[in-house]
Amino acid sequence: MKVLAINNLTKRYGRITAVNQLNLDVEQGQIMGILGPNGSGKTTTLGIVLGITRADAGDFQWFEGQYGSGSSVLRQVGSLLETPNFYPYMTAEQNLAVVALIKRAKNVDYHHLLEIVNLAHRKDTPFSGYSLGMKQRLAIAATMVGDPSVLIFDEPTNGLDPAGIAEVRETIQNIAAQGKTIFMASHILDEVEKVCTHVAIIKNGDLLATGEVGSILSKDITVEIAAKDNDILRGLLADVNYISKIENRQQGLSISVKQGFGAYDLSQLAFEKGIILTHLVEKKRSLEQEFLQITSNN
Amino acid sequence: MSKLIFLLQLEWLKVKSYRAFIVLLGLYGLLLPAFMFSAKKMPIPKQLGGNEILFMFPNVWLYLGYVGNWLVFFLLGFLAVQAISNETTNRTLRQNIINGLSRTDFFLSKLSFLTLINIAATLYYIVWALIFGFTNTETVYISKIYENIDTSGRYFIMCMGYSSLGLFLGVLFSRSILGLFVYFSYIMFIEKIIRYVLIRKVLGSKAMLFAPANAFNDLVPPPVPKILNQTIEGTDIRLFLYPTEAIITSTIYIFIFLYGAYYLLKTRDL
Repeated sequence: MKVLAINNLTKRYGRITAVNQLNLDVEQGQIMGILGPNGSGKTTTLGIVLGITRADAGDFQWFEGQYGSGSSVLRQVGSLLETPNFYPYMTAEQNLAVVALIKRAKNVDYHHLLEIVNLAHRKDTPFSGYSLGMKQRLAIAATMVGDPSVLIFDEPTNGLDPAGIAEVRETIQNIAAQGKTIFMASHILDEVEKVCTHVAIIKNGDLLATGEVGSILSKDITVEIAAKDNDILRGLLADVNYISKIENRQQGLSISVKQGFGAYDLSQLAFEKGIILTHLVEKKRSLEQEFLQITSNN
Repeated sequence: MSKLIFLLQLEWLKVKSYRAFIVLLGLYGLLLPAFMFSAKKMPIPKQLGGNEILFMFPNVWLYLGYVGNWLVFFLLGFLAVQAISNETTNRTLRQNIINGLSRTDFFLSKLSFLTLINIAATLYYIVWALIFGFTNTETVYISKIYENIDTSGRYFIMCMGYSSLGLFLGVLFSRSILGLFVYFSYIMFIEKIIRYVLIRKVLGSKAMLFAPANAFNDLVPPPVPKILNQTIEGTDIRLFLYPTEAIITSTIYIFIFLYGAYYLLKTRDL
């Protein structure tokens, strides 16, 4: 089932087109990441499908229309958009009770939800007394009120310290393991790669690529090598089938090798051909580089 | 009916631990009788009837009503502005919608809750008017109680008037401090300047009495003897609207403000 179908969605702010004729489907069970630099239209897109931003053109449909098209369909979706938004004078549990009432969720086990996000010990503290990480975690707990089958997270690790980031990612992965559909926006590639099964890359409101994470973000490895004569070395590597790309660097060559190959293979090859390498470093290909490449080619 | 209960329940969850809400309502409850009690000490000469005249039927409806007029303007209007602008400042309005509340229901939950408070505030006024009246009128005639009892109906419309203006400004200015500032300065200064300078001096029009805050005020006007409601010198403009005029004018404004607040909420990006 298509949990969400987005058709030709367009939103303009004056002269700026924040989202440009975006088409995107999210299937049940997918963990779909929208990846894009800040200001690329991720939050605007989520804001439109969550009913707080008006689209200028195009439309979208939740659950193939199964729950109708009104705002009540959003009771089936747990969402965290941009910032954790709660009543500052209310405790964690009181805030979750408001969410539960709006979602018409019955018999909510607040204590359990707060335990999942590690806030049970602070359940009586007013929201205004929480640290940023705690606020973010409460927002994640709120998305789980009523046990919705679809969750939306917008930059869920924004502003968290490394421990908090790891904790939030783990929580999201645990939720995903329960078979829920997750739609998540992020500008951090590493995060999308670690958490998502599918990815859509957008920039300036345009969808540049979409598909499974493995097919879009390659897991190639980069090996930096150098010899006395780099030109000879380059000639030697020209038609090796596991090499996908060779680039000249100041000190030598940067070689992209396909998954399963690495520095060992290149070293052995050079050795067999009688070339002595003066430099050999295996690097995991930088995802940021890859991302920049995809976005800069368009 | 279950929808109404849901809307009221939602608003109740939001305000029950909100200190400003408790303080504002508490002040209204405390100050309404307190101001009247303090009038007991006012030196009104016996020849003019003494202090008791303020507390006797049918006058008590007017005097207590005018005290309430000020309190409703300050406290319940404040509450109405806060009820909306708090939600935009904390971005909880946005979160409510994301969680699946419709914009219409959000508006209706505010409106129904404020209406309920206004009903309670009016009943509270009626109770104190009866207490003061019965304890200070030597011989209570039923007809004397009923005289001026219509003030209590207008008192409720006045509450709704200030609330609807507060709601509208709360939606219009999403920062709560700004909303409050405009609410108070509009009623106390801006409207008066518009009325006296623009409408009266420039246009020379009677329309100066029909401005919204003035109409709400004139529903329960200062209790001057009817003979004093003369025309302003040199014009044919009166000091206050007649009750019927005030009711009609206020009702129209209430609908305009409520519709304006609803329209903004319904159409705006949040």
